Amino acid sequence: MTTQLRIRGHRPSLSRRLGWVVLGVFALSMIVPFAWTLSTSLQARESLLRIPPELIPQDPGFDSYRRLTEVMPFGRIVLNSVVVAVVITSLQVLTSAMAGYGLARFEFRGRQAMFMLYLGTLMVPFQVTVVPLFIGMSRIGWVNTLQALIVPSIASAFGVFLFRQYFMQMPMEMEEAAAIDGAGPWRTFWRIAFPFARPAAATHGLLAFMAAWNAYLWPLFIARDEQAMTLPVGLAALHGRFQTDWNVVMAGSVVAVLPVIVVFIAIQKHISEGLLLGGGK
Amino acid sequence: MKQSRTIWALLLVMAIIAAACGSGDATSESTTTTAAGSETTDTSQPETTTTEAAPVDEPAETVSIRYFTFSAAPDHLGDLDAMIAAFNEVHPEITVEVETAPFEEYFSVLQTQIAGGDAPDAFELNFESFVSFAAKGVLAELDVDTSGYYARATEAFALDGTQYALPESYSTVLLFFNQDLFDQAGVDYPTRDWTWADEKAAAEAISALGDTTWGSFAGIQFWEFYKTADQNGCSFFTDGAVSINQPACVEALQYMLDNVNNGLQPTAAEMGGVSDGEMFVNGELGMITTGIWMFGAFEEATFAWDVAVEPGNTQGGSHFFANGVAVSADSESQEAAAEWVSFLTGSPEAAKTRVDAAWELPTLTDAGLYDAYLSQPSPANRQAVLDSLENVTIPPVIERQAEMQDAVNGLLEQAVAGEITAQEALDQAQAAIEELLK
Amino acid sequence: MKWLGSSKRWWVVFLAPSFLLLLVFTVLPIGVAGVLSFFEWDLLTDPEFVGIANFVEISRDERFLDALGHTLTFIVGYVPVVTVVGLVLAVFLKRASRAAGALRVVFFMPVVSAWVAVALIWKWMLNSRFGIVNWMLGLIGIEGPAWLFERGWAMVAVIMASVWKDAGFVMLLFVAGLQAVSPEYIEAAVVDGANAWQAFWKVTFPLLTPTVFLVLIILLINSFQVFEQVWILTEAGPVDSTTVVVEQIVRNAFTFGRMGYAAAMSWVLFAVIFVVTVAQNRLQKRWVHYA
Repeated sequence: MTTQLRIRGHRPSLSRRLGWVVLGVFALSMIVPFAWTLSTSLQARESLLRIPPELIPQDPGFDSYRRLTEVMPFGRIVLNSVVVAVVITSLQVLTSAMAGYGLARFEFRGRQAMFMLYLGTLMVPFQVTVVPLFIGMSRIGWVNTLQALIVPSIASAFGVFLFRQYFMQMPMEMEEAAAIDGAGPWRTFWRIAFPFARPAAATHGLLAFMAAWNAYLWPLFIARDEQAMTLPVGLAALHGRFQTDWNVVMAGSVVAVLPVIVVFIAIQKHISEGLLLGGGK
Repeated sequence: MKQSRTIWALLLVMAIIAAACGSGDATSESTTTTAAGSETTDTSQPETTTTEAAPVDEPAETVSIRYFTFSAAPDHLGDLDAMIAAFNEVHPEITVEVETAPFEEYFSVLQTQIAGGDAPDAFELNFESFVSFAAKGVLAELDVDTSGYYARATEAFALDGTQYALPESYSTVLLFFNQDLFDQAGVDYPTRDWTWADEKAAAEAISALGDTTWGSFAGIQFWEFYKTADQNGCSFFTDGAVSINQPACVEALQYMLDNVNNGLQPTAAEMGGVSDGEMFVNGELGMITTGIWMFGAFEEATFAWDVAVEPGNTQGGSHFFANGVAVSADSESQEAAAEWVSFLTGSPEAAKTRVDAAWELPTLTDAGLYDAYLSQPSPANRQAVLDSLENVTIPPVIERQAEMQDAVNGLLEQAVAGEITAQEALDQAQAAIEELLK
Repeated sequence: MKWLGSSKRWWVVFLAPSFLLLLVFTVLPIGVAGVLSFFEWDLLTDPEFVGIANFVEISRDERFLDALGHTLTFIVGYVPVVTVVGLVLAVFLKRASRAAGALRVVFFMPVVSAWVAVALIWKWMLNSRFGIVNWMLGLIGIEGPAWLFERGWAMVAVIMASVWKDAGFVMLLFVAGLQAVSPEYIEAAVVDGANAWQAFWKVTFPLLTPTVFLVLIILLINSFQVFEQVWILTEAGPVDSTTVVVEQIVRNAFTFGRMGYAAAMSWVLFAVIFVVTVAQNRLQKRWVHYA
């Protein structure tokens, strides 16, 4: 529970109220696109996009969603996406937390170099490595498999960076106390450090899930048929070369976006309600 | 320092691996055999799955081939399935697995698969990309009877006398016009005798109708430009030399620019992200030069419209966008793939399915196929599709095609923005293309 | 950190899974791509060794240099703005109340959406005929530019759209980071007579600097590689005024069939990002406070 801090002399000032108004307008601008996507997805078939867009659908119906299931093996594709995203997320969070902890709390030769190597991998655009990686997958027979979607994505340099920073922000008292009580590194990590890093874990988990769920380029190259196809790739096929059935595309966008929003809502409080130190009770 | 030594060792290892990978030898097929995708299996076919690396000279064994396409998704997967079903009646032992990718990414995926030794057995190519692929030796020679195809189309997919792909379909570009706007402006509808002057006059009359009404639209880009140049008797290459900056070409470009600069055609800013097709349907354009693939989309228009063959200047010229299908040179089932390609592109059953589905047009000479197509009520002048074939503009194609298109497009954009003149643009294009041909 | 009675090799246990996977699936392909930069490769035929020819060509490649310039412009416009906006949002919305939670979800929605959908909205909003942005500008007497269709303004539009889309992401990172700042410190400061503004700058922000460091590094690394929004919003136009480095890389790799040249470009990009990051890393000792 966060204590609501009352700062002496604080009254809702004009600037504060203005701040909330601006926030509100900003927030509205965030909702409108989603509302429009939703509205277009519920409209009856219309192959050209009208501009300006209409926010209220004229003839709302679930036609587009039905067509979505007809145009591709929808169930299987969604299942693939779910499996891939969940596995990647959990393994990414775990391995990154461990590695971040290792970089933050252990001293060893080459520690800084290793950290820079992690960072270095973030500096190369994926479009460049996709071809060598694909050739590698082809050589070990992993084309069109789920493991090809999962395994290369487990190591997360961003996650390691995130956790490292978070652990370096973490005061050492609790771990030192545990060490004095005789706990080894693993126990200290698992029982004390990792739970404390819940905000970081929740944040990374959310972002990892989002990235895995929305991944397009790699699955596009790897998947040949519904065995390994994920949702973004399936949805891309809806974009015709000359004309696009926008209603179905929007329906697909809604389906693609909803799980992530759900995950976000679920995870939210873990991000904003970390175990607080000073409390330490 | 110890660290740098490790880094060098690592790089050395990678270099060795890269060299090994870079020798480009075909890799082993993936060991998993996939059962034919549920959408493509004909129920009358025996339930056997593929055999690995089936030797090509035993046609009785079941073979599975992969066919990669960009034109089938999203609207014509069902039609493709129908064609495969018809194919399986003649060749029950060949299973065709369909793979698709959106057009924007199609060639990236295809090239990467080829690089990884994982090329599909048969795949679609458009005319512009055909030359690069054929020249690099990744296509198998096709030894097929090509008598039923349009000669011009067959030639387009051959290199040095060898057939490397079979023409599959084509579309053309026509002049679409809004009959209601023409009536309002008191202008006669376009006819086959129209020239640029007639088109311009009509555009002026229609543009005068209002601030958000424009007379015509033709994109100022590579494809439109080479065709417009052709309509003025100029082509990019003449007798093996680059001739893009000849007066006739400059004149053609100037004509296109004048349309925009004189308000007969909306500028990109005026369009504001709305596509030309959408503007036409919204009744804002009197005429539009676009492809026959828009027939379906334009059904939504609330006004009367029709099509006509594009007017030329010194001669006629119309686009001929052809797609072909090739067999991979690395395929282990080349014969089976060739059978499929032959059927897909040349059989009457496939052609009929294609025409009925309005999935472009087959490149076959059998006139009977077109009856169903021509007898559809809208647009009324469907005959124009065939009429336009009388004066066909073949795209200029070189091996470094993408770079040429990119260079020309960039220069045309600058000309449209008014940053350089038409002459300057084409002079620079001349130099750029000569550079690419070295 | 010293654990009583444990061997020194524990770091291997913690780092092995992540690091080994990284080596095999990320570092190795990067290395291969790096080696490729000394070749010309069209993906269809065998690679051809060309030594440093690619790098020489890059140094003379006007389009690449322009792209690099545009990328830097984007960074200068985007990074500071999105950091500040994200921080402000996080500070306003860091508590666990339902209202704050709901608003956080709202601000996160653009982050989650694909650029394809977001781009359509922005094109509509920036339309000079009926777009909302120019209409609002018109209310205060300014005639808005043609945004995506005008040199110079197009990049501004790309930056605005990017800030809008990513603010929620930055907000998220800061909300998480703010959790590690114990309210005790703030309470202590208030007791000593600080107002809200001072409490933030003197107490919260210094404790937040590791997160700020993280945010800046990530934003810099990502924005050097900006691609998707440029591709979708402006297609590198108008008249090539919004080309960026990764767009040149992709074009060369796949459209022009020059994989080796593209790899060389990514080496150059890598070098630039690396230098900037190392500089950041050195500087952090001056302003980042670790617990």
